[in-house]
Amino acid sequence: MRPFRFTAVTSLDQLGPPGPQTSFIAGGTTVVDLMKLEVMTPDELVAIDQLPLRGIREDAGGLRLGALETMSAVAAHPAVAGGYQVISESLLQSASAQLRNMATIGGNLLQRTRCSYFRDVHSACNKRVPGSGCPAITGENRMLAILGTSASCIATNPSDLAVALVVLDAQLRLRGTGGGVRTVPLRDFYLEPGDRPDRENVLQPGELITEVLVPRPAAGTKTGYVKVRDRASYEFALTSAAVVLNMDGDRVRKAEVAVGGVGTKPWLLPQVGAALNGRALDRTNLEAAASLAANGAKRYPDNGFKVELIQRTVVRAFSRLGGLV
Amino acid sequence: MNYQVLGKPRDRVDGRLKVTGSALYAGDRHPENLAYGYLVTSCVAKGSIRSMDTSKAEQGPGVVAVYTPFRPLKLYAPLSREEGGGPGDEQPPLQDRGIRFYGQIIGLVVANSFEQARDAAALIRTEYDPAKPVLTWDEGLPHAFAPKSIEEEGSTATVLAPGVTHIDDVIRQAPVSIEVTYREPMNHHNPMEPHATTAIWDGDRLEIYEATQGIISHRRTVASVLGVDEDRVHLLCPFVGGGFGCKGSMWMHSPVTAAAARDLKRPVKTVLTREQMFTLVGHRPALIQQVALAATPDGALQAVKHEVQSTVATSKVFIEAAAHRTSRFLYKSPNIQVSQKLVPLDVGPPTFMRAPGVAPGMFALECAMDELAVKLNLDPVELRMRNYAEIFPGKNVPWSSKNLAECYRIGAEKFGWSQRRSEPGVRLEGEWLAGVGMASALYPAHRGGASAKVRLLADGTAEVSSATQDLGTGTWTVLAMVGAEYLGLPVDRVRPALGDSMFPPAPVSGGSQTVASVGTAVRKAAESAIQKLIRLAVSNAKSPMHGLAPETVSYDAGYLAADNRRVAFADVLNAVDRGAVEAVESIDPLSHDGRYAYHSFGAQYCEVKVNRYTAEVRVQRVTTVMDIGQVVNLKTARSQVMGGVVFGIGLALLEQSLLETGSGRFANANMSEYLVATNADVPYIDVAFVEKPDLVFSPVGARGVGEIGISGIPAAVANAVYNATGKRVREFPITPEKLLLGESGSPRISVI
Repeated sequence: MRPFRFTAVTSLDQLGPPGPQTSFIAGGTTVVDLMKLEVMTPDELVAIDQLPLRGIREDAGGLRLGALETMSAVAAHPAVAGGYQVISESLLQSASAQLRNMATIGGNLLQRTRCSYFRDVHSACNKRVPGSGCPAITGENRMLAILGTSASCIATNPSDLAVALVVLDAQLRLRGTGGGVRTVPLRDFYLEPGDRPDRENVLQPGELITEVLVPRPAAGTKTGYVKVRDRASYEFALTSAAVVLNMDGDRVRKAEVAVGGVGTKPWLLPQVGAALNGRALDRTNLEAAASLAANGAKRYPDNGFKVELIQRTVVRAFSRLGGLV
Repeated sequence: MNYQVLGKPRDRVDGRLKVTGSALYAGDRHPENLAYGYLVTSCVAKGSIRSMDTSKAEQGPGVVAVYTPFRPLKLYAPLSREEGGGPGDEQPPLQDRGIRFYGQIIGLVVANSFEQARDAAALIRTEYDPAKPVLTWDEGLPHAFAPKSIEEEGSTATVLAPGVTHIDDVIRQAPVSIEVTYREPMNHHNPMEPHATTAIWDGDRLEIYEATQGIISHRRTVASVLGVDEDRVHLLCPFVGGGFGCKGSMWMHSPVTAAAARDLKRPVKTVLTREQMFTLVGHRPALIQQVALAATPDGALQAVKHEVQSTVATSKVFIEAAAHRTSRFLYKSPNIQVSQKLVPLDVGPPTFMRAPGVAPGMFALECAMDELAVKLNLDPVELRMRNYAEIFPGKNVPWSSKNLAECYRIGAEKFGWSQRRSEPGVRLEGEWLAGVGMASALYPAHRGGASAKVRLLADGTAEVSSATQDLGTGTWTVLAMVGAEYLGLPVDRVRPALGDSMFPPAPVSGGSQTVASVGTAVRKAAESAIQKLIRLAVSNAKSPMHGLAPETVSYDAGYLAADNRRVAFADVLNAVDRGAVEAVESIDPLSHDGRYAYHSFGAQYCEVKVNRYTAEVRVQRVTTVMDIGQVVNLKTARSQVMGGVVFGIGLALLEQSLLETGSGRFANANMSEYLVATNADVPYIDVAFVEKPDLVFSPVGARGVGEIGISGIPAAVANAVYNATGKRVREFPITPEKLLLGESGSPRISVI
């Protein structure tokens, strides 16, 4: 860890223009970790955990989550657990109870990849040191992405919550350093790596996530999250699927699915949902729709199995939600 | 056997200290003026160091010293094992610029705080002249070699029936045979407590706090590397936060730290990081094992052939004796051949890991037996019973005590094995496929030379001490219980003491030998102390029993008795004005006179479920029955077996150290990506014992319990996965892709 200045703010007005090496810290479960590894070496940390960015509210439009609410608080909130199960389920299958008590919603959406080359400063990594190379493409890449990869980077976005929020078409409220506020759909928030894997999202310097807005699913909609991993707890996803299902009798009125563990960002699969809409929810239709899940995927030496596993994950998630098992 | 104390469940005497955080481990010591060491390690796997720029590090805040091969601390080569040294590193660091593996110690930064030392270490710039390392099976196999001997036999050990010239002839001609290959990756021990050394010099005397499985061997080895008399080294290790083998050797962070403390004339503490524990303190080698079994149609084995290839380090040989410790003797077969070759790689030193040789060997043998049972259409338990060995094959000696058949039977009853459906892939439960599997368990019984002191005190209590160590296994409590048993006292009147090199010497806590070794010494010392008490009572003029013939005085439950008199030992000691009477006794290692074989055995059954869509495996329940001789503490023995089962679940389903083929770095050297079982991965574990004291093996009847619990579970899990899915996975860990994508000719798990 390198020396740094530490300041704490209690109101948004206190936020000035950031220096080039300024980093915000909320729960600290990513930043402190990466500073100890010297993967992140900010010269200034601005603690935002005392900002008034809390609150979990539901109104006619949907759910509003303060960016500083913890993962545990959101997961346990009756409005979330009752009407937005996919959010609760994704959170409760993330990290550990201790981490969920510290980590915030805003921080969760900004957590960095678990790619072991990114986290080892002695390895090359285009995300950490642009232009240094990507040993992951030929190295240990079982946990890495098959969708949205580039010749520069195949790192997976590790957030479970982001997958759930993408399928629900959540919006982020962002506040710039000048006090200007804008709303960005989460589906447009993350960037694919291309040749600039160091740029992960559309946040401007000093811009802060203040709130997450989740539209209320149509009446009768079921949502759920399936996470596939080697061990039963405390591990990032091999694959995951966040699904939304609204049935009209025995036919699908609307299905949506986003997947995790396979993409360089949370990956929406509109073609899979579209293939189910208007059809009966049965095994044949599910498998046909799921067969589109890995369209465009690129296999790497250790992770080619994810092409099949993600299709199976999608089938499993819809089968559970639709009561087929 | 009618024991008063042994075999009953007993809370740990150190339990309260542990749960309240009062138990101080090696890294918890904060002597005055302490400085903190941080190891600098190599970032290439082979070659040499061209230069190290330490200027920025030396200017870092709080930095006291930076040691490198260019500014070394003098260290000597350690004693060999033959000379009584430990089996750890053979080359002391900082004495040359050679690099033998990624993560090798190339420097030590000492500063006033841990953070200052760590941050300064990150500022050192090292230039290497790298050479191409050998890091894969393909690269290493051309250099494979057979060691001179394994387990006191040849690297190839063969038993052939009269008239047979080659085992392959039997296999080729047998009515039923299978030939299969099993693979597993390197594993790392990952005890919760990292290795730590706190070194404090007082003139030429060293006080050193260590996390070690062997106080006496560690002291001897560290003294040899420091070039000092071991009598001037006082080693303390009252608590260890898990060892599993990786603390069974002295590794070089210990003398480097002590040498820095000597150089700086102030105490220095070094605690290894989790990442450093992947390269500096050993690992279980990777293995490729080929097993061929031949049988008659009714399941009588005609041949057992087990060939092992295991990795070693180019800088250190370690034999993971997978076949010699398992297939060599588990089943009755007229023809048996076990063999092993070692494949050198440029990696850190391998070492013992819980049930060395046995855990991987039993994976191969017990999966192969399951495959043979399927081919023969026989119940796997029945196949094992038809090949039950009453004598050690080829040596033709019986076991000192063997009750494996009872383990199979009791385990089958408790588990409900008769409900098993032998056809695989037919039990569908919601989105899961369910199946059951079983395997035998075994582990050799070891008894080393050990000594102990027993003191009877004038306050009516007793003390039992030995320079043994408690890895978290429960040795503190075992000392008290064995002392209480043979002194006839309640356990709470016996104070145990261990973890200090001043006490009578004891062996490394490895090979599951501590209870049988130290327990036997405690029994002998207790009996000796009683005899001394009697002699004192009859010979001292102030004693109420003065003048009696010693053979007329008996001792029972804390009292001396003669005629109709009964006197508490405290009253005798007070009468003669003595604070205590004490005895130190030693026992020799068990002599292998060739009359018996010594092993513990067991049977392990488990049920798994496999997700029919995505193929994750989850263990649902485990039944395990162990024949370990006399149980000492039923509670901690049960915990030991449970811990072994948890280890076995990890071996089968989760654990793999990912060695990067380019760099030699372990890509998952952290607890996030090196997966060990969480609570959610561990089901209810039913543990039972066949309690038959083995008095041929040890006077306390115990054979040890630390390792056997892991031995059968990996195969039992793999066999249950087959039963659930119809798919054989012959490579650990069994992860979803291996079930989904399998080898050709093997059915894929289907979405039903």
